[in-house]
Amino acid sequence: MRQRSALLGLGVGLALADSSIVTLALPRILGDFDVSITSVAWVLTSFNLVLALVAVPAAYASRRKPREAFGAGVLVFAVASLACGLAPSFGVLVGARCVQAVGAGLLVTAALDLLSQVDGSDEAALRVWVAAGVAGAALGPAAGGILTQLLGWESIFLAQVPVALVLLLALRGVEARPVKAPAGRPSVPANLALLLVAGGLVAALFLVVLLLVDGWGLSPAAAGIVVTVMPLTAIGVGRFRPRSLGVVYGCVCGVILIAGGLAALALMPRAGWWWTLPPQILVGAGLGLTVGGLTELAVRGRPDQVVHGGWTLAARHAGVVLGLLLLAPVLTSALDENRDEAIRAGAAIVLDSRIPPLAKLGVAQDVLAEVDRANDAGELPDVKRALAGRADDDEDWTSLVSGLQDQLDRAVTSAFSGPFLLAAALALGALIPLAFVRRRPG
Amino acid sequence: MRRAIPFLVAIGLVAAVIVPYVALGGGSFEPTPVADPCAPRAYPEAEGLGETIERIALTAVDRVACRLGVSREELVLALRSEDAFDRFTRENGIDRTEAEQAIHDGLVQAVDEAEQDGTLPGLIAPLVRKAAESVPPWLLLETLERLGDFLPG
Repeated sequence: MRQRSALLGLGVGLALADSSIVTLALPRILGDFDVSITSVAWVLTSFNLVLALVAVPAAYASRRKPREAFGAGVLVFAVASLACGLAPSFGVLVGARCVQAVGAGLLVTAALDLLSQVDGSDEAALRVWVAAGVAGAALGPAAGGILTQLLGWESIFLAQVPVALVLLLALRGVEARPVKAPAGRPSVPANLALLLVAGGLVAALFLVVLLLVDGWGLSPAAAGIVVTVMPLTAIGVGRFRPRSLGVVYGCVCGVILIAGGLAALALMPRAGWWWTLPPQILVGAGLGLTVGGLTELAVRGRPDQVVHGGWTLAARHAGVVLGLLLLAPVLTSALDENRDEAIRAGAAIVLDSRIPPLAKLGVAQDVLAEVDRANDAGELPDVKRALAGRADDDEDWTSLVSGLQDQLDRAVTSAFSGPFLLAAALALGALIPLAFVRRRPG
Repeated sequence: MRRAIPFLVAIGLVAAVIVPYVALGGGSFEPTPVADPCAPRAYPEAEGLGETIERIALTAVDRVACRLGVSREELVLALRSEDAFDRFTRENGIDRTEAEQAIHDGLVQAVDEAEQDGTLPGLIAPLVRKAAESVPPWLLLETLERLGDFLPG
C-alpha cells in the first residue's frame, strides 16, 4: 500500500514539476532553435495554460474511470515527454508540451482518486496529493537546472519517460468504484486565492533562477542547488505546522510570508546568491502554509474531491499563466531600460577611470560590442570577456572591470525589482478572497 | 489577542529580513546616475600630453553636452560612429548641423583655454584645433587618440 501511495505521489510530483522544470533550460532551448525570447517562454506557458484548461474536464473523466484515466494519462505524458526530448523544431516542442499537459491533467486528477483507495481516506489522500504537487513544482527548476548542465535540456524530458512508465505499477490491485454523487459547485474564494498566490509564486519559482543564472552568472546546477532552500522550507513548514494555527489563519500568515519574501527579493541590497536565501525561506514557509491550506479549503467536505481537486489544479496553473503573462513583459521592459542606464553609467566609469587615456575609446567600443552581442544572443553582457586580453593584472584595469561589473549587477538586479514587487502585490491580493472563505466540516 | 499572535509573528519575520535589506541599501541598488554636464567637474592633474589631450576632450564634451541638453556619456557614445551620431541626433530631436557645430565650437574653445593657461604647448595647439575644425564629430575621438599616440608624451 505504501509503495503504491509513494508511486502515485511520485506521479503527481513528476507531472507538476513540468510546470517549472524547463525554466533553467530556456536559454539553451533559445540557442538551439534560434527563436526570440518572447517565443521561448511558450515552452513554459503552453504547458501551464493547457493544464489549466484541461484540469476540470480531466477530473470529470478521472472520477468516472480513475484507473483508465491514470493509465492513459501516464502513457500520453510519457509519449509526449519523448516527443519533447526528440523535438526537431520549436513548433514540435511546444505542441508536445501541450500534449504532455493533457497527460499530466489526467494523471494528476486520477491519482487523487486512486490515492483515496490506496490510503483508505480522502483526507490522507489529499495530504499526499498536495505535498507531492508542491514538492514537484518547487523542486522542478533545481532538477531541470542540474539535468540541463550535466546532460543537456533534452535530458529533462527523456529522463521522465522511464519514470512515468514505472508509475503504471501503481495500478496493480486497484478496483473500479461506483461513480459518486454530483460534485457540486467549486469554492470560488479558495480557488481565486490559490490562483493569486500561484501567480505571485511564479516570481519565486521562475524569476529567482533567471536572476541567478542569466543575471549573476551562476551555473544552472549551482542555481538549482540554491533554489532548493525554498521547497525544503516549504516541506518542513508543511510537516511541522502547528495544528492550533487553523487552516484559514495559516493561509493568511502564509500569504503575508510569501508577499514579504517577494518584497524582500525586490529590495536586495547587493548582487549575490546568498542575498536570495532569507527571502526564499520566507516564501518557502508561506508556500508550506498556503498552498496545502487553500487546497484543503477548496476540496474538503465537498462531495467529490477529485473534481474539486481538478478545480484547484486549474486555479493554480491559471495563476502561473497569469504570473508569466504579467511579469515577463515588465521584466523585459525593465531590462531594456536598465541596459541603457547601465551603458551610460559604464561610459562614465570608463571616462573617469585611471587607465591610459588613449585606451579609453577602445575599451568603450569593446564594451559596447559585447553589449550588442549579448543583446542579440538574449544574454547579459560579460564584462571580463569584453576586456579579455587587456592588462588585467594592473590595479587601474582591475578597478575598471569591477566598476563596470558593479554597474551591470545594479542594472540586472534592479530590473527584477519591479516584477518581484508586482508578484508580491499579486500574492497579497489573495487576502481579499480569503476573507470570504468559509470552512466546511471535513 | 492570542488570535493575532500568528499574524504578528509572520509580520515580524518579514520585517526581520526587509528592514536590514533596506538599511543596507536595498531599493537603491541601481545603475549610478550620470553627473550633470553643466555642473563643475574636478579632473585629476594631467600628466603628459596624452592626459592633457584627454582632459581637453572631456572638458569640451561636458560643455557641448550641457549646451545640447544631454549627458556627457550619451554624447561620447554618439561619437563612436556616424550611425550612432545620427541615432543620437534623431532620438534627442537635435538638428545634425547644429550638433556638429556645437561639438567643433566646444572643442576649439577648450583648446584655446588650454593654450592660454599653458597646459597645452603652443606648437601642438594648432594641430588639435585643426582636427577640431576639419574632422567629422564621429571621428574626433579616434583622431585625438591617434594624435596623442603620435606626438611625444
